[in-house]
Amino acid sequence: MTTQELSGPATFSTVEASRSNLWKDALARLAANRLAVVGIIPIILLFFIAIFGPYLTPYDFLAQDFTARLAPPSSVHWLGTDELGRDVFSRILYGARTAVSVGVISTVISLVVGIIMGSLAGYLGGRVDMMVVWLTDVTRSMPALLLAIVINLTLKVPLEAWLEQMYLQTKNTFFRQTMWVDLVLVFGALALIQWPGYARLIRGQILSIRSRNYVLAARALGMPTNRILTRYVIPNAMGPLIVAVSAGLGGAMVLESAFSFLGVGVQLPIPSWGKMISDGLRLWQTHSYLLVGPAAMMAIITVSFAWLGDGLNDALNPRQWKE
Amino acid sequence: MGKYVAQRIVYWIPALILLALAVYAMAFYGAGDPIKLMFLREEGDVTYDAQRLDAIRREKGLDRPFLVQFGEYTWHLLQGDLGMSVISGRSVNDMVGATAPVSFQIGIATVFLVAIFGIPLGIIAGLHHNEWLDNLILGSALFISGVPSYVVGPMLMVFLVLGLGVMNVPYGWDGLFSTKAILPLFVMVFGSIAIIIRQTRSGMLEVLSEDYVRTARAKGVPEFMVIIRHMLRPVLTPVLTVLGQMLIGIVNGAIIVEKVFGIPGLGRLTIDFTYGVDYPVIVAITLIGAFLVMALNLLVDITYPLLDPRAAQAMTGVEE
Repeated sequence: MTTQELSGPATFSTVEASRSNLWKDALARLAANRLAVVGIIPIILLFFIAIFGPYLTPYDFLAQDFTARLAPPSSVHWLGTDELGRDVFSRILYGARTAVSVGVISTVISLVVGIIMGSLAGYLGGRVDMMVVWLTDVTRSMPALLLAIVINLTLKVPLEAWLEQMYLQTKNTFFRQTMWVDLVLVFGALALIQWPGYARLIRGQILSIRSRNYVLAARALGMPTNRILTRYVIPNAMGPLIVAVSAGLGGAMVLESAFSFLGVGVQLPIPSWGKMISDGLRLWQTHSYLLVGPAAMMAIITVSFAWLGDGLNDALNPRQWKE
Repeated sequence: MGKYVAQRIVYWIPALILLALAVYAMAFYGAGDPIKLMFLREEGDVTYDAQRLDAIRREKGLDRPFLVQFGEYTWHLLQGDLGMSVISGRSVNDMVGATAPVSFQIGIATVFLVAIFGIPLGIIAGLHHNEWLDNLILGSALFISGVPSYVVGPMLMVFLVLGLGVMNVPYGWDGLFSTKAILPLFVMVFGSIAIIIRQTRSGMLEVLSEDYVRTARAKGVPEFMVIIRHMLRPVLTPVLTVLGQMLIGIVNGAIIVEKVFGIPGLGRLTIDFTYGVDYPVIVAITLIGAFLVMALNLLVDITYPLLDPRAAQAMTGVEE
């Protein structure tokens, strides 16, 4: 009796422990990876600045100080001012907003599309699978920047015309803001570039997990499909997906800035680091601080994402646990 | 084998047609009226005589249905004619012909340099798995792969020209073997070398535990010969598969680098004409870019089983 009472809760707790071990282990591995820990700090800061930026900036990102145009860094303007007398430091902080919002939203869009297409391909197989794989191959063989340029070049004018028409029809001032066109085009281009990666990942995960012995065993024991999904398939697919999302988020921010750098991104007045870098490039010989500020920020964030991504990969990729 | 090659060709040809169709359709319906653009360019913001516009449109065959025009464009494309630039009125062939050699030189030099530096670094990292040398190489590769080229290029200019003063302003292009080419090439190599290092390193880690490597070492083959004779081929074959990925990186990088350093290549052409909505040029360059990547993918798909007999069986069967 007593032994039963003791062994009951004991086995129960070991089951619980082994259940949470996957994530606990992963977290411990991540915390042990110095580069990943160093990388996670700027990223947390970035999200913090993106959310609370307007309360932190010393100046408004549009506020012009004509008495101090192109002023070098000083105690008044920490990173100097640009051609229009706008505070560079404030603009960099606001740029975090652009980077994070574009990164997060486009990642969510491409993730949703990728999960739907990938699961369709993985579950249905056959023709559907072939079509999805082919489509991802076609999209992936398009250089991202060329794609963004083509999309921006060809779809901007008709979209703006359509917005204008909607405004004339509905008199809703919402349709007057042409900023939406830029945002839609940038999100569209980013989603188009990034969905194939997620779709292929999900497809591969489904194909490999559903033929594993433990899933076959569960099925043979008569476990219902949705329970197999929540118990085995989703937790096992989660690790690689988290790694991919972390990399994708960083990648989306880099691409957004690259678009802005080339003049096909989100247009002013919202500051974007890429746009600031390309503006700074015109005056770099005389006013290099215009360039160095946003470029250094971009470098810190991208390297942080690379380090964090690598740490996550080590922490969550079960293949490497054996080593 | 023949069947497999045919399969791969059938796989990529419709992809190219779909891409051409999509890009052409976007330009056709979205880029605006080319005749109006031409007038805007030549005569400023004048009021157009509708009849005159129609006459020119008919004369140039631009009033015909979409599919007819696309068919004609494709037909010309197959004969190597990329059409006329709307803005400059020059043939796109000439414009591409003048700029492509520069971009191709940069691209080929980048691949060459990446191979020369990346593969040995990957091998060294693999041989010293988990030692400080491995950590150093892998850490730097990770660092390098993170920083985008539009950050590296400008930062290097500021550092080398303004900070150290060891270099003149590297703007323009004097050929591949001039001092002006050093920084652009460095930035390009910087952008693509990490892929190769990591691929080579992981290949080395797999090969190191193979029996034939242990055998070769046990019978006293010098370490250098073991690497050359027994490891290099199985390690380098998978590197082929990342070539397509690398080419995409090179095309993207070239667009950025050519803007930063004012190099008159294909990428520069793309950016210059973005602002002018010169869509025949953009469509042509986009198709060239996509064609290169797809052709390379096809080439890799076909040659891979030849180089790696183990993969031949797997690859002719199911993909992935």
